[in-house]
Parts: sequence; structure tokens; C-alpha cells
Amino acid sequence: MKAATYAVECNGTWRVWISLAPIVDFCWWEGREEKFGGWSHNQGMERLVLLTLEMPLGWAVLFRDRFRSDKHMHTWSAREWSTYIEDILQAELKAEGDGNGNGNGNGYGYGNGDVIRYSGRLLTGISMWECEGNRWRLTGRGCNMGVSDDNRTDEGQAFLRSEQRKATNVTSFGDERTEVLKWNSNFRDRSDREEEIFLGERIENLALLARQAEQLVHGVSGRSLLEAELEALLLDQSPELCAPWRRAAQLAHLQGRLSIEAAVGEDARGGAARQGLRQLPLVAGALRAAAAWPPHLGFRRGFAPRRALPRCRRCGSAATARTPCAACGLSGCAYCEACLALGRSRACTLLLRSAATPAVQCTASSDPTVAARRWGLSAAQAGAAGAALAFLAERRQRSAVPSPEHSTVPGSKRSAVLGSKHSTVPNSKRSSVPGPERFLLWAVTGAGKTEMIFPLLEAVLGAGGRALVATPRRDVVLELAPRLGRAFPAESLAVLYGGSTERWVGARMTLATTHQLLRFYHSFDLVIIDELDAYPYHNDPMLAYAARQACKPDGCFIYLSATPPTDMQRQVKSGKLAHARVPVRFHGHPLPLPRHLAADPVRICLKRGALPKKLIQELQISLNRNAQIFLFVSRIAHIEGLLVLLRRRFPSVVIEGTSSQDAARGEKVMAFRDRSISLLVTTTILERGVTVPQSDVFILDADSSLFDEASLVQMAGRAGRSKDDPAGRVFFISPQWSRSQRGAIAQIRTMNRIARQKGYIRKESLQ
Amino acid sequence: MSMLSQWLRKAELLLAPPLTRCLICGKNSKGSSPLPEVCSNCAVTIPWIQVPRCTTCGRHVGCPDCTRSNEPTPLICNRSAVAYNEVMRELIGQYKYRGNERYTLLLGLMLDRAYGLLKAEQERERQVQLKGQKRNTLFSYLGYKGEDTWRADLLVPVPVSGARLVERGFNQAERLGHVLSSCRGIPQLALLLRTHHTGKQSFKSRAERLSDMKHAFAIDPGMKDRFAGWLQTRLNPNAPLRIIIVDDIYTTGSTIRACAEPLQRLADECGVAVEIRSLTLARS
Ligand SMILES: [Zn+2]
Ligand SMILES: [Zn+2]
Ligand SMILES: [Zn+2]
Ligand SMILES: [Zn+2]
Repeated sequence: MKAATYAVECNGTWRVWISLAPIVDFCWWEGREEKFGGWSHNQGMERLVLLTLEMPLGWAVLFRDRFRSDKHMHTWSAREWSTYIEDILQAELKAEGDGNGNGNGNGYGYGNGDVIRYSGRLLTGISMWECEGNRWRLTGRGCNMGVSDDNRTDEGQAFLRSEQRKATNVTSFGDERTEVLKWNSNFRDRSDREEEIFLGERIENLALLARQAEQLVHGVSGRSLLEAELEALLLDQSPELCAPWRRAAQLAHLQGRLSIEAAVGEDARGGAARQGLRQLPLVAGALRAAAAWPPHLGFRRGFAPRRALPRCRRCGSAATARTPCAACGLSGCAYCEACLALGRSRACTLLLRSAATPAVQCTASSDPTVAARRWGLSAAQAGAAGAALAFLAERRQRSAVPSPEHSTVPGSKRSAVLGSKHSTVPNSKRSSVPGPERFLLWAVTGAGKTEMIFPLLEAVLGAGGRALVATPRRDVVLELAPRLGRAFPAESLAVLYGGSTERWVGARMTLATTHQLLRFYHSFDLVIIDELDAYPYHNDPMLAYAARQACKPDGCFIYLSATPPTDMQRQVKSGKLAHARVPVRFHGHPLPLPRHLAADPVRICLKRGALPKKLIQELQISLNRNAQIFLFVSRIAHIEGLLVLLRRRFPSVVIEGTSSQDAARGEKVMAFRDRSISLLVTTTILERGVTVPQSDVFILDADSSLFDEASLVQMAGRAGRSKDDPAGRVFFISPQWSRSQRGAIAQIRTMNRIARQKGYIRKESLQ
Repeated sequence: MSMLSQWLRKAELLLAPPLTRCLICGKNSKGSSPLPEVCSNCAVTIPWIQVPRCTTCGRHVGCPDCTRSNEPTPLICNRSAVAYNEVMRELIGQYKYRGNERYTLLLGLMLDRAYGLLKAEQERERQVQLKGQKRNTLFSYLGYKGEDTWRADLLVPVPVSGARLVERGFNQAERLGHVLSSCRGIPQLALLLRTHHTGKQSFKSRAERLSDMKHAFAIDPGMKDRFAGWLQTRLNPNAPLRIIIVDDIYTTGSTIRACAEPLQRLADECGVAVEIRSLTLARS
């Protein structure tokens, strides 16, 4: 889209604003005497320079963010303002000029088939205004961006015409519309004095607009929405705002409650980038031209250095694509390819974000054992949940510490507060890093981490906050939703996943798949991320960005994982990450320790047409004890061959294979669960999620680079899940040991050791 | 273009990994394929229309519409690159609705292939005609710009409404036409506008809807002069002007026929004979 842009001088300082509805801005900056809810009065506005009614939004945002007030600006003529704009947007104008100039002059046309050249007609013209009472006076005007003076338009007229056009387009704005029309006719009546615009008496309408702004702010609270998403939300939640939303949004923006951004723009750390661009405008221009799309060479990812690449503000990815755009008229309008599925985010797309409210303060729960009893937690679960609760309660105090280097909250004191030694809270410089604080709940497979969520949610909801539980898997969302509903019957709950109907419902408790987080902004006091190491969250910077954006800057994160990523484990070790472990399963038995079987790689076995003897023996033992068998392989291509060999060897056993490419995967997993399949050959696709009561785990080619430590721990975690069969058998089968296998076994050993030390292991298991 | 950016382009080509992500299946592959950014496995699944069953609308299967209606239309024929099946529905959806413009080149080249087939077809026909006639006159030689090559003069994209254009950011027909235009060196002019017609489609009778559609397009007044100016530059002003209307999907053909009429009128006004055909990416 294109937006109006103006500069305003208040008490000697200039500031640039972007406007979706300039009429609202003119009303806002009037120094009105009467007090009026939602509208400003007497803010020391000295003059207003309307720079343009139509600038590509991306440029308008760049200009606003790069703008620096100068004490001479009040003396500037239109031409000086124009030069200033050209200077600030130098790199962009240059790139746009290059984009147009490289050969293919025709065919870029929209509407009239013309090449769109911004250098020729960027802006509608500059006009300068002063205001006395509620009477605006045009004090100067001029054209810009190379438009010759004889070609000048009457800005006042153009402004009014455009407003009138908007007003006639608005059908359900009621009184306000007639008022605007009246205002316009007022103006026409006084055409002998064109430079004066009387905004007239619109008190009732201003009140209505203030109410609408209020309603809009409420509706989008905690959201980050593209224009189309906002319209969808309003259609769903408050259809009466569909027509007047631009004006309401503009008022909310002026009130400081809604930010106006371009969905793709300069990095927030743009200072250096801008310097680079301004020092080397030629190079930057050439790089941008190279990144644009030349039709003969095909579509390309930008090769330009990172600092020249704009970023998607919704998902954080670099926006590598640039195409001609009919919405803003630029021939190189960048868009983000990473989050296309949620509607296209581009350099001229309006992104509205609500201003954050401060995070709530959770009170320290009276006694962790009470919560434990209420939610039916085991001792190990209760200990870890208690540590997390203490973290939530103390978070604010830590944030309040002015100088983190001299933190007065030493770890020893915290431990005393917690009364629990398995919580390690660092007293590092954590609070010097802006953004939400983080806590890791490291709970072994089968520990029952879902139950531990409940007391945490209770604490935040009880303090009046908003909480989010995000999980990578849709089935977890569907399974958890009714449990959360039952646990907190009085709270509103929004359940979000691809295709869910509650997309725009605002609720205090939100349960979502990770992709849905992209639509939130500084919304939650507590964000709980389940299985942060699992696909697709793991290694997807977009989802990590989304999660960070969704949390209030002073809110907190709690990660749940059985196998935290290595960098997080490192932070735990070095004391940089607050955490608590649940080292034992809910049934109180230790984790089965994997055993290693030396055998040839699967590839060789398949070639030879025979399975390793040791494998056959162990499989037979498992079958004899009536266990369900997970047989993990590293490659989908091995499944078929293995099925043939296994079926030949165990003709009476029902053996199946499945993978990500198997359309019948769902049915096979179901059949495995209800024991009609005894042995399932599969890949890491089933490393988590599927739990079968009495099961043994065999991992072939366990030294494969495709199995990392986390995968091995997760696969091993399929065994011994039931309290009736807690000692499942786990085998790593490979010609040699690998670092991952050793790491996985060490991790399992450590957890068992801690569990034993804490006394979490049941007596019968210790014997 | 500056030396630097040329150098950068070369460097980029050298640095570009041989692996490309297939636009259809999303997997990485390095095999060569006739289409850019499509793996060879997927390339064979594209439902090309090699020889149309219906020579009027270019449909790949039997076509009751063309035999039933004998309404006069300036549209001579339509040709489509592919049948509109599940694969194409997904591709076009990704492009048009999701706005993944990475597909522009692929889809544009598919359209270009259809142009190649149309050209070959026209040249074959011409051969047959010439064999029938005695090729005796210099006039026919001049009139048809060389006896065995056929070439369109102008591409005209089917317009989308202004609101949709702003919402989507691009007109898919115009973008596809742009690729074809670049490949073949045929100019493209966006001569048409979508006129505003009010009222809900669903409340109208079939006849009303058809009549609405008939008047849904008009010549962009701002383009009339440009078109006239462009006509002046033609090397062979006596030959009929071959216009190709470009669109993404041909369903009933009513859109394209509605576009053909104002073009015919414009040509009449300018006193030039026209042959109007259409090329679409997919035929349903
Ligand atoms: Zn994005
Ligand atoms: Zn744009
Ligand atoms: Zn493919
Ligand atoms: Zn037909």
C-alpha cells in the first residue's frame, strides 16, 4: 500500500508520522481547548509539513525511522524538505532507478502499461500547515522529486479530494461521513480563501472514532497482523469496525497504542546497515539491482551482503525476493518467501502491532506440595514444578535489579528460597540481555511433563496474565485442549492450529502449534514451549523468532524437553540457563539403559540377504516376552528389504514398515498401538509421540550420522513406558560405537544417577 | 548495467550450489530438467496438451461447448499449455493466491511452450494452404511476412480488477505475458480494463451473468493513444494484426471472448484488420 507521511514540530522537535487516514491526524494535531476522551489537546504543535499523501509504505517507514530532527527545519522550504527526502531515501531511489533502467523498458506496466518511475513522480507535493484553534492555514507549498514547478498541484485541493474520495467510499461510517462531506463543502464555499480549511464541529464524531479506536486496540491486543489478517479478524470479531478501521487504527497509532510498520523492512539493528548504504550508495545500488529479478536470468536469491537484505518483521527471515508491485508501484518491492503460507508479507504491506502491556507479577505459590497434590504430581514432578514456580515469582525482582553485574540475587540465596537443590539458577548477567527470561524443564521421556504445565498456568492466570502453550505437533494440541479446558473451566481458551476455526479468538490461555505464533506480538506473560528440540521448531529460526515475538519483553519462557539442544545443555552446564530436571519417569523406575550389539551395517546385511545372528536372538527374546518391537532404521530405502528378511525369519509374526512417505502411516501406527502389528520397522518419524505399553526398541545402524544424541535418547525413550513393564529392552546395533551413542547412554545414566540420589527411584527397582 | 553488478552475477552463478529446490515436490535435486527449478521426476507429471482435441478452444478432451454454441465471436481459437489438473491447481494456487512469484518464470515458460506449438500449427496450416494455391503472387508473400514463419504481433493480458491488483500486488496474466514477451520479443500492451459492475453474481440469472461478463472489459482510455502510436511503428501495416490474449486459466472461455470484443472494436476504429487468438496456461 501507499501511505501519507508528514512531519510535525512540537516544542521545537520534529517527528515524522505515517498516516492511514490524514484527516484523523489533522484533527489530532489541532490545539483544541475542550478536553476530549481519546483526543489530544494542546500538545505544543507548531507546524505540520505534509510531505506526501502517497508514498510506498516501505519507504515511508524507512524515512520515518531514519529521520532525525534538525533545529533548522522550521525554516525549510518545500524544496529543502524534498532534497532531504531524496537524501534519506537515496539508496532506495537509486536501486529503483537501476531496476527500471536495465533494458526491459516495457511490460512492467500496471493499469496503463507504463513503466513506473518513482524518480519522476514520487510524491503528490509538499504543503506546510499551521493551526490556530481548529483552523488550519496553508503557509507554503511546493513540489518535490523533480516535478517541475509549473506542474504543481494544489496540495490542499488534492488532499481534500482524496479525503472526499475516501469519504464517499465509506458507506457505514454514519455521521462521520456526512461530516466529512460537510467539511468539504464548507471548504468549497470558502474557495476565495483556499488556504484556510475549517475542520468544523465534529465533536460527536470524534467521540465515536475514539470509541472505535478503543475497540480496535482491545481487539488486536497482543497481535501482530498484516492488513489482510486484521480485516479477517475484524470480520470475525467486530464486523462493525470493518469499514472505519483505518481511521480508528490511525487514532490508536497517534495515541501510541498501535504501531505502524512495513511487514518487510530494514533490520531493527539497521544503524550499521544504513551507514553502509549511505557511505557506499553506488555499491548498494548495484547490489540491489543484482538482487532484483532480471527476467532473462530467472528468479534468484539475493547475493547481496546481509546488511543490504531487508527482513520480514513477521517471521524474522531475510526477504530475498523482489518483484514489481502494483500495490506500491515500485519495480523492486521485496517480499518474504518463508511465511507465504500465512499471507504474503511484503515491503509495502501494513503490519499493525499493539503496544505491549507490562507483564504480570506472579506471586510465589504458598507451598509447592499443595500444587503437587492438587495436580497429582509425583515427587520429582513437584520438585521441578516448584522450581519453575519460584522462577516465575522471582522473575520481576531480578528484572528490577538495576545493574546486573552487581546482582544482589545470588544463586545460593535462590536455592535456599526454593528449598530444592536440583534447581540451578544462575546469577549471571542474564538480565542484561533484554527480552524474556528463560527456564528449562528438562524432563526425561515418560516423566509426565504435561502435568507440570498445570501449576505454571495456574500461577500466571491467577495473577491475571495471559499464557501460551506452544507445541510442534497438532495431535498434542488436540489431545491437550480438552484437558486444559477441564483443568481451567473458568478461563477462556483459544486452540490454534492449521485449519482451526478459532484463529481470531482472543483468550487468556492459548494452545497453539508453533506456526500460529507468528500472529502474536508481545502478547503473553508466560510462553511454554513443548519439545523445543523437535521438528519443526528445532533449527527453524523463524519459529524461534515467532516465539520470542509472542512473549512480552518482560515475560518469561519455559521450555519443556527430554533432549534439549546442545547449546542449551551447554548453557545449563555453565550455569547460564535456569533449569530444573525431572530425572525419573512418573512410575518411578529408572530409564532402560541401551545395550550395544556389534553387527554389520544394514546395507551389507541386505546385500547378503541375512540378518545378524545377535539381532535375531534378541528379537526372538522380545517376541517371546510378548513385547511390541520398534525397529528403527536410518534410511527409508532399507525398510522394504528388511521387511522381506524379517518376514522370512519370523513368518508367524505380523511385521509392517512405515515412514514419512507412507500414506497408510496413521493406520499402521494405530494397528501397532492396539497390538495387531507386533514389529514395526520405521524411521525417526516415530521417535516421539507414539507410546506403546510393553515395548522394546532396536536401533539399526545406530552409528549413522542421521541419528544424533537426541534422536537416540528419544527412540530409547519408547521402551519401558508403562508401570507394568517399566524395564523395556533397548539395543543400539552398529559395527562401532559413535559419539552420539556414547552421549545418549551417558545422558540416560546421568538422569538415572540423579534420580537415585534424589531418592526418586522406587524401592523395588533399586534391588 | 555496471561492471560490478555483472561481475556479481557471474560470481553468484559460480557460487550457486548445483542443488535446486524443486518448485513442485519441494525436494532438492541436481538433475537437469527441461524446466527451471523443477526436478526431472516432476517434469514428467506435467499434463502438457500436445495436440488439442478441439481445434477451437484447445481442449484436450471432447468439448460440447464449442459444438453447441455458435455465437459469433472475434476469437479465432484458444490454445493452452497444460490440462488443469491437481498438480496445476496447486502450482497456480501457490502462484496466484499465495503470491509466490518464484513460479513466474516456470509458468511463463510453460506458456511459451504453448506459443511454440501454436506457431508450429499455424506454419503447418500455412504450408498446406500454399500447396493448395499456386504460389504466384508477390502480394501473398508480402501479406504474410515470409511464407513459413508465423509470428504474433501483440500480447494483451486479461486484466484483474484494481482492488484485486492492489491486494495481490500483481496481475498473473500480465506477469506470464511478460515472460512470453521477453522470450519471443513480442510486445505486450495492457490495453484492457476491468469495468466495475455492481451487484452480487449469485443473485443473477445465467443470462444476466453472461451479459455482465460481456461488458466486464473495456479498452483503457489511457492506452488508446499508445496503441495508435504503436500501430504506426509496424513494419507491415497491411497485414492483419495478430493479437494474443493471455490468461492463466481457460474454463468456459467467456472471459477471453469478453476481452476479444473490445479489442476487435478498437482495431475497427483504427482501421486495421485483426486476428485474435488466446493463449492460456491451463485448460480445464
Ligand atoms: Zn516472513
Ligand atoms: Zn509493494
Ligand atoms: Zn520435484
Ligand atoms: Zn472446444
